[in-house]
Amino acid sequence: MALVELINVNKHFRTHHLLQQDEMTRRRRLYKRNEVTAAQNITFSIEPGEIFGLLGPNGAGKTTTVKMISTLVRPDSGQVLVDGFDTERQRREVLSRVGVVLEGTRTSLWPLTPLENLLYYGALKNVRGRVLKQRAHDLLDFIGLQDKKNVQVRKLSRGQKQKLALCIALIADPKVLLLDEPTTGLDVQSSRAIKDKLLEMTRDQGRAVLVTTHDMHVAQELCDRVGIINRGRLAACMPTPELLEQFSGRVFEFRVDREVPADRFLDIPGVLEAWWEKGAEGSLLAVRLTADDASRSDALYGTVERLRTLGLRLIGLNQRRETLETVFLRITGEPMETSDEEAETPSGTGES
Amino acid sequence: MRGFFLVMKAELIRVFIVMRRYWFRTLTGLIIGYGMLMVLIAGFIYSRPMVQEGLSRLDDPGAATNFVLGFIIGMYAFGVVGMFTQGIQGMATTGVLEQLCLSPYGLTTNFLAQTFIASITSILSSGLMVYLVSWTVGGVLHWDTIPVLVLLGLTFFNLIGFGFMVGGLVLIFKQVGQVAVILRMVLFGLAVFAREEILNNPWPVRLTLHLLPVTDAAICLKYVLIQGQQVDGQFQSIFLHPCFYWLVFNGCLWTFVGLAVFRWMEDYSRTKGTLGTY
Repeated sequence: MALVELINVNKHFRTHHLLQQDEMTRRRRLYKRNEVTAAQNITFSIEPGEIFGLLGPNGAGKTTTVKMISTLVRPDSGQVLVDGFDTERQRREVLSRVGVVLEGTRTSLWPLTPLENLLYYGALKNVRGRVLKQRAHDLLDFIGLQDKKNVQVRKLSRGQKQKLALCIALIADPKVLLLDEPTTGLDVQSSRAIKDKLLEMTRDQGRAVLVTTHDMHVAQELCDRVGIINRGRLAACMPTPELLEQFSGRVFEFRVDREVPADRFLDIPGVLEAWWEKGAEGSLLAVRLTADDASRSDALYGTVERLRTLGLRLIGLNQRRETLETVFLRITGEPMETSDEEAETPSGTGES
Repeated sequence: MRGFFLVMKAELIRVFIVMRRYWFRTLTGLIIGYGMLMVLIAGFIYSRPMVQEGLSRLDDPGAATNFVLGFIIGMYAFGVVGMFTQGIQGMATTGVLEQLCLSPYGLTTNFLAQTFIASITSILSSGLMVYLVSWTVGGVLHWDTIPVLVLLGLTFFNLIGFGFMVGGLVLIFKQVGQVAVILRMVLFGLAVFAREEILNNPWPVRLTLHLLPVTDAAICLKYVLIQGQQVDGQFQSIFLHPCFYWLVFNGCLWTFVGLAVFRWMEDYSRTKGTLGTY
């Protein structure tokens, strides 16, 4: 049974502003009302032992989705289930099964030490006595903070604080772990350490983990499955290998001396798409080739041959490195950018 | 109920750790509080003949003690209500509020436990200050355990009820936090100057004064601690005093209204998507 299930979940936010300055006209408006769609028919599930990545730009609805699962935000319609419990009707049961690390928050109490923090938050989450103490020590061992257990949190590095936030989320031994941008702002070493621990914890302990990120590398390294969310809509949801296919270098750029109609290349076996782009150093012919390695090689040679046949001089050839933006553009048909409206989502990163 | 005690225990340990870790701040806080009150009293009694004359006209031999006690009750009211307004804002900024919202016991239980512990700490330190100041200026406090504890308990419920109501509004309407600062100042002033005489006003003013959570509490506490429950040399129990009944009524009213508003606003802020954020 899936540990997390979202079924046709919708959420719209209405924001009201008095005397807000219009960014474009620089004029103040007496009253302005905005309506933002943070979730639109979102449906997905997460199995035990699975890491699910939610990818999207800032303000896409990632944080809202996390908050709906953790009961901090109420969906307008649809159903959110955690371990079979409804987030609306059985909030207490849900909260005792969920651990959350929200992005951009300090979470821990800085005057206390990591150990004291874990004991404090454990008590708030109904973990008591010897079990609590043992679990606190085990978690500090696991995450590598045992030698810092008696140091005040304010003296810890950002990476160590993030590790502590993860321990706090785990103190009640939740079945579901929700991580909102867990590696944002961390150095490579801390980010690596957190990712390793997440993988270890999910595989060994059978938790269901939801990770939101706008960093494709995080998703690539961690997630078994990935959902791409944009403007509150889940545009794609597929296993990571399939998504990586979208990212593979199948687009080649040929820098040539002049342009001919792009459709002259479409009859080459293995060429799926061809189009012209304006590069800094002249015209670029972009060609998308087939995924199959053998056919791709033939298609590449075929394109070079065609260029020669058409009398075009080949100046340069480059295999395009895809970015999240370009894949996003391909999947959603929209550029991956943060609109002002989205950034105003009350629960989103824009305001948290 | 079990959840409340568990959270309260955790909160007690946290407060104790912070007080112990920042012992110098705790100690200097007490000394500064004592010093400040002494300076205020000196200012009122020795440097301001007109004020002194005004106070003497009230025929109150314990004017300084009266003032100090009012000041302490005012500070207590100021602090308890502030815990809900500034406290919520601070916790939201640091992300701690989100963690409290994620506790299975719920935000209300967590806040109730927090304010309970904070109140005990405040009462203990304030009690110590009142005693020290009263002893220094030669005033006398009549400590009658049961009435004092009953009155402190009722005052607590009055103030946390009011605090819950304001805090609930802060969860939704962030600007209420600024308005609450004015409200806290009003409560503070009222506690300092609350006397039975101020109830000799037209009924709308009288009713408003009674409904504010600190007026009757201050009058009752001053009646017990300063006057020693004496009227013209005759013992008259606080439990027969009209202000005591108002205090009981207010305790019930504010607790009910406060908790209801807080829960309602907590629920509404989930819909609005602002729970835990500021």
